[in-house]
Amino acid sequence: MISVSNLKKSYDSIQALKGISFQIEKGEFFGLLGPNGAGKTTTISILSTIVEPSEGTVSIAGFDLKKNPAECKKTIGVVPQEIALYNELSAYDNLLFWGGLYGVPSAELKTRSEEILKLFGLYDRRNDKVKTYSGGMKRRINIASALLHKPVVLFMDEPTVGIDPQSRNLIFEVVEKLHKEGMTIVYTTHYMEEAERFCDRIGIIDDGRIIAQGSLEELKKSCQMKETIVVSFVLLSDTIFDQIVSEWKDLKRIENSIHFYSSNVKSDLAKIIIRCSETGLDIVHIDIQKVNLETIFLSLTGKQLRD
Amino acid sequence: MLLTFAMPMALITLFAVVFGGTGGGKESRKYDLLLCDLDNTPASHHATAQLDSLKSLNLIPEQLENAQNLIKKGKKDAVLVFYKGFADSMVAGSALPVELQYDEAKEAEVGLLQQSLIPTLMMLPFSDLGNIPNMMQNRFDKMMGNAADNKLKNDMHAQFDSLYKTIGKGVSSKKNVSADKGKDVAQSFGMGSEIKMTKLVSATNDNSVGLVQAVAGTAIMMLLFSVVGIGASLLDEKQEGTLKKLLYSPLHPNSILFGKMIYSNCISIAQLSIMFVYANLVFALDIYHHLPSLLLMILATAYACSGFGVLLASIAKSRQQVQGLSTLIVLVMSCIGGSMVPTFIMPAFMQKISMFSVNYWGIQGFYDIFWRMLPFRDTTFLSRILVLALIGSVLNLVALKMFNKNILKMT
Repeated sequence: MISVSNLKKSYDSIQALKGISFQIEKGEFFGLLGPNGAGKTTTISILSTIVEPSEGTVSIAGFDLKKNPAECKKTIGVVPQEIALYNELSAYDNLLFWGGLYGVPSAELKTRSEEILKLFGLYDRRNDKVKTYSGGMKRRINIASALLHKPVVLFMDEPTVGIDPQSRNLIFEVVEKLHKEGMTIVYTTHYMEEAERFCDRIGIIDDGRIIAQGSLEELKKSCQMKETIVVSFVLLSDTIFDQIVSEWKDLKRIENSIHFYSSNVKSDLAKIIIRCSETGLDIVHIDIQKVNLETIFLSLTGKQLRD
Repeated sequence: MLLTFAMPMALITLFAVVFGGTGGGKESRKYDLLLCDLDNTPASHHATAQLDSLKSLNLIPEQLENAQNLIKKGKKDAVLVFYKGFADSMVAGSALPVELQYDEAKEAEVGLLQQSLIPTLMMLPFSDLGNIPNMMQNRFDKMMGNAADNKLKNDMHAQFDSLYKTIGKGVSSKKNVSADKGKDVAQSFGMGSEIKMTKLVSATNDNSVGLVQAVAGTAIMMLLFSVVGIGASLLDEKQEGTLKKLLYSPLHPNSILFGKMIYSNCISIAQLSIMFVYANLVFALDIYHHLPSLLLMILATAYACSGFGVLLASIAKSRQQVQGLSTLIVLVMSCIGGSMVPTFIMPAFMQKISMFSVNYWGIQGFYDIFWRMLPFRDTTFLSRILVLALIGSVLNLVALKMFNKNILKMT
């Protein structure tokens, strides 16, 4: 559905994208993760045709972005990071306006707007001016306005920033529904749990390059990351720690705690507890830290995702 | 800073220049005066030479018909006509057949012209070509009319002859009599109002020049402020992200600007139309006399002004910048363009500068319609329409270019 090859973009002396390539299949939910300034928004801006790439090729739904930007635009829907609505218009009028830009016939547009308002739980307030809405409600309309022309591909740039849990859950439900209906979605976010929950595949972008891509499992494997069993003791003497080190190579001591790195938590956890009991160590706390996107991201980039 | 210091200074400078005080210079202003010599005799040539020697006048010889056309079209203020019989009148000492034809709208300017002309013209009968005793006798006869009998007249004529013999030779032999002295002498003979004054362009209906100036000047100035506001909405859209969202849609980027231009034009046309309807209802401005001309001028002015608003929005980076820039530019343009002060009372160089403003062409166009009553097909009127259309087109083209450049920067 989307093919990106050796995409580069420079702004004067700054190289925002240094040659990124990826493929997104039809109906796939693709997450684009990266710290601020990594090149996510530039990538989305190019894919949504408002920025011309310096080099490289992009095709969306079979249309070449450079040769046929108008067709590409008809195919895609974009949910921008900022809430871009006309505050003096009602939610319904906003939808009619934004849908009208895509040439949706009037009667169909009205029906579709009402459907979407119901889907986002805003039908009852459809005639209220957007300026009277809460941040979460505006976010919902912001997303709704990108769906009126039934796009094949949906770009969502941080769609849940700064909203209340109720709106967030509603957006999640809608996003999952759209995905189930077969829409191809490209999603950028800072929230790991969102990416882990929705994305079939994830591309990690840093400093203008895609440094890893694949499903969560594939990323775990490619990073050769292990889960961590953190065991805290009342007192951990150097002698006893030396004994443990001689039997368990992949660990790290932090004061009275030991971080055991494991590829098989279930069996290793039992072994650790038995061994600690044999050596007379008093365990006060056990914590299992699973491998997640945060740790993968940290491992790959050396940065927190929100840096 | 701009509004607090720069703008007041700019306006002070402009007003100072407009009202003639250009930094304490003592040089008096030079006025263009058309001259039509229908007599074409040594006496009229002498009179022309005398006027030409005045520092305050710039004499421009012209055929009477051409001169009258230039005045009717607002291109010149007045024409001085020496009619046939000028030389004979000098010899006979009778009233000189001299006429100053002028545009009533330029009365202030013509008043200053008179101040320059009268002393020189009143001195002419005292030159070698004149006949002072005859002039004095004629003047007396005219003053007395039928009130005096022939005996009294003859006695008075004898008295004048005697007086002339006593002082007249002295007066006529002084070749370098100053203008002021001449004026004093002429006035002492009651000769101060001999130039015939004719209003070539004057109110033929209810429209007064002040009303036309007030309506046209104010309407255009306020229109410029309005269109800047409309243009600035483009920057609001940029700031609020809706412009970016519009760009995601299949719309061509240029059509976003075209949309603003069309909206700006519609509002401008509506605003100007309502201003003139208001002037008609409240001040009885006759807008129905040349309705097609008025509509055409409204369209052209709206087009030029809206181009200005969109251009400002395209070159600025934020609404705040537009507001600062527009206040300065609109006020300065309105000042030099004649919205605040009529251009005809400005110095010549300021009148030339005023042509660089939208206000000038718009106001002159409305003067053509309401004051000079030029017909729809008049070339002067059409040329103003053409200039406004050109200004609008150039501004819109530059705005389009700048808009595209700024979009690329923004995204």
